[in-house]
Amino acid sequence: MRDLGSRRIAWSLGWSVIAFLYAPLLVMAVFSFNDSDFTGLPFLGFTWRWYSMLLADDRLLESVWNSVYVALGVVGLSTLFGLPAAIALDRFEFPGKRWFGRLVLLPIVLPGVITGVALLLFYMAMHLRLSLYTIMLGQGTGLMCVTITEVTARLRQMGHSVEEAARTMGANEWEVFQKVTLPGVLPALIGAMLISFSISFDEIAVTYLLTGRQNTLPMTLWSLLRREATPEVNAVSTLVIVASVLLIVFGTWLSRRGSGEPVVSPG
Amino acid sequence: MSDATLAMGRDRRQLLLWLAPPLLWFAVFMVVPYGMLFYYSLGSTDYMTFKPGFSLVNLARVFQTEPYLSVLIKSARIGALTAIGATILAYPVAFCLAFHTRSARSKFIIYLLVIVPWWAAYLVKAYAWKTILGTSGILNAVLLNLHVISEPMTLFLYNQFSVVLTLVYIFTPFSILSIYAQLDRIPTSMLEASSNLGATTFETLTRLVIPLSLPGVVAGGIITFALATGDFIAPALVGGPDALMISNVVINLLGVAFDWPMAASIGIVVIGIGTALISVAQYLEHRAQVRY
Repeated sequence: MRDLGSRRIAWSLGWSVIAFLYAPLLVMAVFSFNDSDFTGLPFLGFTWRWYSMLLADDRLLESVWNSVYVALGVVGLSTLFGLPAAIALDRFEFPGKRWFGRLVLLPIVLPGVITGVALLLFYMAMHLRLSLYTIMLGQGTGLMCVTITEVTARLRQMGHSVEEAARTMGANEWEVFQKVTLPGVLPALIGAMLISFSISFDEIAVTYLLTGRQNTLPMTLWSLLRREATPEVNAVSTLVIVASVLLIVFGTWLSRRGSGEPVVSPG
Repeated sequence: MSDATLAMGRDRRQLLLWLAPPLLWFAVFMVVPYGMLFYYSLGSTDYMTFKPGFSLVNLARVFQTEPYLSVLIKSARIGALTAIGATILAYPVAFCLAFHTRSARSKFIIYLLVIVPWWAAYLVKAYAWKTILGTSGILNAVLLNLHVISEPMTLFLYNQFSVVLTLVYIFTPFSILSIYAQLDRIPTSMLEASSNLGATTFETLTRLVIPLSLPGVVAGGIITFALATGDFIAPALVGGPDALMISNVVINLLGVAFDWPMAASIGIVVIGIGTALISVAQYLEHRAQVRY
């Protein structure tokens, strides 16, 4: 008996919020097919014009690839450095552990602009030229906490007994990591990779300050939006939404195969 | 050497192996940049060039000179309104998901329905509200057609209301997911016990479910608050001159005024506030971990 209160009232409230969440997305999608030079009513007829314009826009397409490149780099960095951090935080006690935990989380609550300014000062002092790599390093630092929190939560759930057992039976550290720890955290790690990828793909604040000559997709969209708002923007947006739906379904399917639960959690 | 010290020695080597790379990373890409931010906040500018120094003048200016403090307070207010609004909208959905969804399949579908808007591009979501609320936007067109208004209203867009609305829209899915995580952990047996002991639904709700979910809800709310307070997209896209927020001010200081020390000082103040917020959130999360 988990039903609490009126099912009808609960669901009508619930569905109205979900409708609120989808209405703007639907508006975007509908107007991406509108045969009119600006976004808004009236609806003048159906067209693929904006989509074909988009496919001919080299700058836009290039920025999509730049975004993918940066996001893959961010995922790589946060796995390479986030996974060991999570293992260290879960398995060991060390002085300053609480402060390390806080430091790692700090980029979540800090405005991206502040992280961006700090890194910009650092790059300037190091005479690093701004490029896609400087964006990658910045976002990687900011998003590492996603991998660390997701994997730490999973490690806590797993406990240490299987690792201990493997060690008792003569496995060396590498074997324990490769055969016990890694397979155990894999669903959480994949979930974290997907979350990091999607946040990176969408990131603006840090990128805004650290971008060089090559732009990511949100930066290109941003300049497009500030200059003029043609329905081309709606077309890109609709495609981005469709792509993220596919990515989520794929990711959830992937992580469900690994464990019984969806790992795509808030954050 | 006893086994215990041997194990400790092994542990220390292990710890170093796992901890050294991330520690080094965070030292180089966080501690050093934040340190530089602090260093810059102590300096001053002379004809747009940075001059090192050791004065707390800029940090004091954050609190004493307009508009910094008032913008900071306004940003915090917009952030707080966003967190509250998103929580209110999110609660019913999280509630349905936790208490009124029977099959695993429908749970999964609703879950997906919530995640999709959360993952949809940020700019797109903010821009969508611009097309809805603008003078030639959909809301005005509908109201004109229904003869509720006779000419397009300008008060929907470019003010603090439109910024809060947009931010609430953006953060509601996140709130749903974090509240759901709390509600889902309340065991069914506890609800049954409550009703067996004669509590009405309203009593179960107000004296059991809501108090139990509160620490987690507040912890999630703090994250929403922090993200919304530091936002600079929504104010730039749908906010007017009176909805300028702290991140926009920092960007203007860098790009227009070249006042790096001032921007850095605001950064230091915000980092201080952020650290305090994390401590509170961690404490609440710790309390929320209590086993039922």
